[in-house]
Amino acid sequence: MSNNKVSRRQFLSYTLTGVGGFMAAGMLMPMVRFAIDPVLQKSEGGDFVLTEKKIADITEVPERVDFTFEQVDAWYKSDITNAAWVYKEGDQIIALSPVCKHLGCTVNWEGDPAHKNQFFCPCHNGRYEKNGENVPKTPPLGPLDQFEIRENDGFLEIGKAIPNTLV
Amino acid sequence: MHWNGKDSAVFQAQKEYIDTAVIPLIVIDGSEHGFGFAASAADYTLSLANLIENQFKGRIVLFPSFSYTAGQDKQSLLEIWKEELLKAEFKYIFFITSDREWSTMGDGHDVIWTPSVPLDSMDQKMRISVLEDQLRQLIPIFAKKWAN
Repeated sequence: MSNNKVSRRQFLSYTLTGVGGFMAAGMLMPMVRFAIDPVLQKSEGGDFVLTEKKIADITEVPERVDFTFEQVDAWYKSDITNAAWVYKEGDQIIALSPVCKHLGCTVNWEGDPAHKNQFFCPCHNGRYEKNGENVPKTPPLGPLDQFEIRENDGFLEIGKAIPNTLV
Repeated sequence: MHWNGKDSAVFQAQKEYIDTAVIPLIVIDGSEHGFGFAASAADYTLSLANLIENQFKGRIVLFPSFSYTAGQDKQSLLEIWKEELLKAEFKYIFFITSDREWSTMGDGHDVIWTPSVPLDSMDQKMRISVLEDQLRQLIPIFAKKWAN
């Protein structure tokens, strides 16, 4: 008998270790996969929506820019049109969400003739300054949200809403 | 607010702010010449109602549309709706319709009648601009009522 012959005992132990290892891996893999799943999620950074607004046309007066994206709700797909109030402050372009922080109505720029240079919510007379800051003593308790923006070939692209960074 | 579970919870918590009910009135017409027109008008009325909800989200509750046939007694329909909604402490109740018959019923019922525009052949962008125009005309009607 040569020395490198595998004994019955060794053979069994190798086989059991091998099979056991596969079984353990089969159980552990899904657990590890679940644990690191958030890391593997695709980042939502690509969610910018192209608008028809030219960067060069944006002025210091807030202007309403509509943008449409597809929303999938279970099996129901629909085109959602959202809007932003867009203006230029120095070199910076600002896009504010039109959703009132009180109960979610839509605010309008200079919607109330008595208050120039402010956003106005017609529901409960809430007002915001041009930078989105809520006017004290009106119902809203926080500033308007801001949209992430970027430029694409001279046109404005609007991303997701973020808390106001100007106030 | 819409008439659903999530929004109804907000409504019950914020009753002092959400004090207006909006009910679209939709006529169902089974006759050969009226079928298509009534369907198109319903489409328009519901789209407009959704836009109103979007504008005044924090002050109104948009109810599911009320559908009826031409023969039903309109006056009593209104009374029944109002009676029920007053239980929920709504201060203002608006009905919105493009059925011409309501326009002849006179004022005092808060029925907002808007002539229907056929939206079928329009693309999304055109639809929105038509509806936004209509909405702009409706805002003062709401504002006036609320100011009183």
